[in-house]
Amino acid sequence: MKSTINILTILSITFLVSCQKEYPTGAEYDPYSFATLDEKGGTWTPILLNAPTQISVPSPVAITSPEYLAELDALKKSMAYAIDEDRKLITYWGNNPIVRWNEIARELAAKYNLTPAPNADGTYPAPSAANPGVYPYFPFAHPPYASRAFAYLSAAQFDGLIAAWHYKYQFNRPAPSKNAAAIVPVLPDQNLPSYPSDGAVIASVSVEILSALFPLEKEFLKTKAAEMRLMLSLSGMNVESDIVAGEELGKGIAAVYLKRASTDGMSKAQSSKAVSDSLANEAFKRFGWKWQNMESPQRPVGIAPLFGKVKPWYLVSVEAVRPPAPPELNSAAFQHAAKELQETANNLTNEQRKIANWWSDGLGTYTPPGHWNRFATDFIIKYKLNPIRTARVYAYLNTAVQDAGISCWDAKYYYNYPRPIQAMPGFKTILGTPNFPAYTSGHSTFSAAAASVLSYLFPQEKALVEKHAKEAADSRIYGGIHYRFDSEAGLEQGRKVAEFTVQKASKDGAD
Amino acid sequence: MVIKMNVNRSDYFSAIGRLACGLIVAFNFHFSNAIAQSPTDALMMDKQELCIAGMVSQDQWKQYWEGTLLRTNDNIGTLTRRTYMPMAAYGITSKLTVIAALPYITTQASGGQMAGALGFQDAGLFLKYKWLNEVRESLNFRAFATAGWGKPATSYLADYMPLQLGLGCQELSARAIFKLEWRDHLYMRTGIGYIQRGTAKAERDYYYTDKGIYTNIMDVPSALQGEAAVGAWLIGHTLQVEISTFAQKSLAGDDIRRQNAPQPTNKMNTWQAGGRLRYFAGFLNNFSLIAEHFQVVDGRNVGKSSIYTLGVTWQGYVKKTDK
Repeated sequence: MKSTINILTILSITFLVSCQKEYPTGAEYDPYSFATLDEKGGTWTPILLNAPTQISVPSPVAITSPEYLAELDALKKSMAYAIDEDRKLITYWGNNPIVRWNEIARELAAKYNLTPAPNADGTYPAPSAANPGVYPYFPFAHPPYASRAFAYLSAAQFDGLIAAWHYKYQFNRPAPSKNAAAIVPVLPDQNLPSYPSDGAVIASVSVEILSALFPLEKEFLKTKAAEMRLMLSLSGMNVESDIVAGEELGKGIAAVYLKRASTDGMSKAQSSKAVSDSLANEAFKRFGWKWQNMESPQRPVGIAPLFGKVKPWYLVSVEAVRPPAPPELNSAAFQHAAKELQETANNLTNEQRKIANWWSDGLGTYTPPGHWNRFATDFIIKYKLNPIRTARVYAYLNTAVQDAGISCWDAKYYYNYPRPIQAMPGFKTILGTPNFPAYTSGHSTFSAAAASVLSYLFPQEKALVEKHAKEAADSRIYGGIHYRFDSEAGLEQGRKVAEFTVQKASKDGAD
Repeated sequence: MVIKMNVNRSDYFSAIGRLACGLIVAFNFHFSNAIAQSPTDALMMDKQELCIAGMVSQDQWKQYWEGTLLRTNDNIGTLTRRTYMPMAAYGITSKLTVIAALPYITTQASGGQMAGALGFQDAGLFLKYKWLNEVRESLNFRAFATAGWGKPATSYLADYMPLQLGLGCQELSARAIFKLEWRDHLYMRTGIGYIQRGTAKAERDYYYTDKGIYTNIMDVPSALQGEAAVGAWLIGHTLQVEISTFAQKSLAGDDIRRQNAPQPTNKMNTWQAGGRLRYFAGFLNNFSLIAEHFQVVDGRNVGKSSIYTLGVTWQGYVKKTDK
């Protein structure tokens, strides 16, 4: 008996030790020196602000004033009392905290990307913005919702930093370490004027925007913002007045964005069954087919039938990029595509399976827009971008990706084209079929737009991101949930959408 | 001698078996219990004795626990998992037996459009050691220790739940089994086990548990298992009748989120009860037939499975001895 206990003890210890493994919850990066400072960043053209000065920031007190000297003293003290836990915050946020807010947005997308479960009577409940805490929780962060969340967050961060840069170089208040020798910054000293704090702008914009889009996460987001605020002083980056000015500026910027969000049409995107049925019937009259959800019980409405009517950022109109109609269901072109799907499913290679799964980005994940933000993050770190350049990358990436989603959803519900499992009786898939029509492929449209923008911003990565986009498009065919023509039309559509974004980016004064 | 193997106790998915070939074995790769039993006449394989078994098992469920919520899902309908398990045991000495097995599995859902899977699951290797054998008048107390190792034999995808073939991880197990017999007629048995499970490789490199995780490696929760059984030998010691109950509790892991698919990181608790018959066919030398049925009674992140198993065993010596 005793030896049994010994064996179990040894095993339990092994178990406990093996459980110490920690997997990454975000990008791993060490604080780095920024490749550039972009001193002229305050002159770049914002996305939504009419001018960098639209939100005013009061002049700071002089660095010789007693108030400022008191702030320096307080900063010195708080740095001296920093404990290990505080230092962990500095390591986590690093000197480019936008990356972390982007990861937080991805995590919230994954957390809320769950489709409502059916009621006992076979009907489905719907999330309600008015009662976000009642199941099914609001929001259902499906790919259109997530694309819009990333776009608002990133565009507001970018405008926030354009304004911050403007005031930083207008007031030119040196960083605390330049004003007190005893203050040795923990993060790389970048010679960036410290008033208003760019970090505080980012924290404040991010917490405001994300709290509006994920209302149940207000407390969690507040905690994150408070952690980041603490980090800004513990690292020696900012005194209290830098932070307060940044927070106020951030709030002003967020308000501009939230005003747009309240009237961009998103609240109507998840239409009634009547509207959804009329879209399907119009397609049936026009083309002779209509899409149906194939789940049991059948979902009465697909995801966001009117997302195609949401206000885009740079896309002039959905009609401008709407692809030609897909093949008729009894045509040779359709038969050809269906045959490819059947043959691919019958002879799926391990490599194809891997690609299908690697790109699945389905329910419970950060969605394809989240996947592309992850790639962008890797490039941002690799090329040591400063905060304003970082914000610019996310802003153009995500406005293009949302516009791609808008155009794609327009095509999806305009053409209302059946999925393979609907049009090919008995066809089985290795990926779950999403709850919206087939044509064009969302993955393909999102990915082509993202790849175009990232190719413009990181020309060295063009080959890689284009390969990714092609693979994302192919992955849906391997998974059995899209015909090849869905993917090809989606790639083309995404590229066209991104032309509008790149045109804007090329004229914003940054390049 | 006795062979026992019973496949797939309630797993959502994974196949398992437990078996004993004249010994107590525990073979259940994943969910299973692995505390098998050993009836009276041969507790261990004799030295140089070989046992070969073939078992077919069907595990079906229509309801499953999504976390603690028992529900149905019409997009799965009834999930059927069949396990075909060849197994061999060999007596290295009269106190030490080695056992090997390799299950072949098929999965299928009657509802929805998701494709089923098929293929070999995990290769398993077990050592069983007879540790105590005390006789007091008409009572006989025995204790056994088993150590097991299992590893996926193919590149099946564990992150394809609930249609996956197995949990996709290596596992190490240790078990202690205690048995009390009265005059070769009645017996009771109990066992406890610990299964250390490693990691499964997903084909995506981001997943969400209670947070977003950026890797393709998934921790599969380790587990404690326990079993209790009572049984009897009837009809001139040719028919074994046994009822038993088995439980597993994961020591870590998350719950399936509402209306989400399960994933290998989920905790998987199960409690099941059932029975078995084993008949030693006098007219077929060295053969025995086995029939089992188990029902999952309670669980967490597992199917409410009903499991039927049929098997045949053969046992004999590799070399003729001079006895």
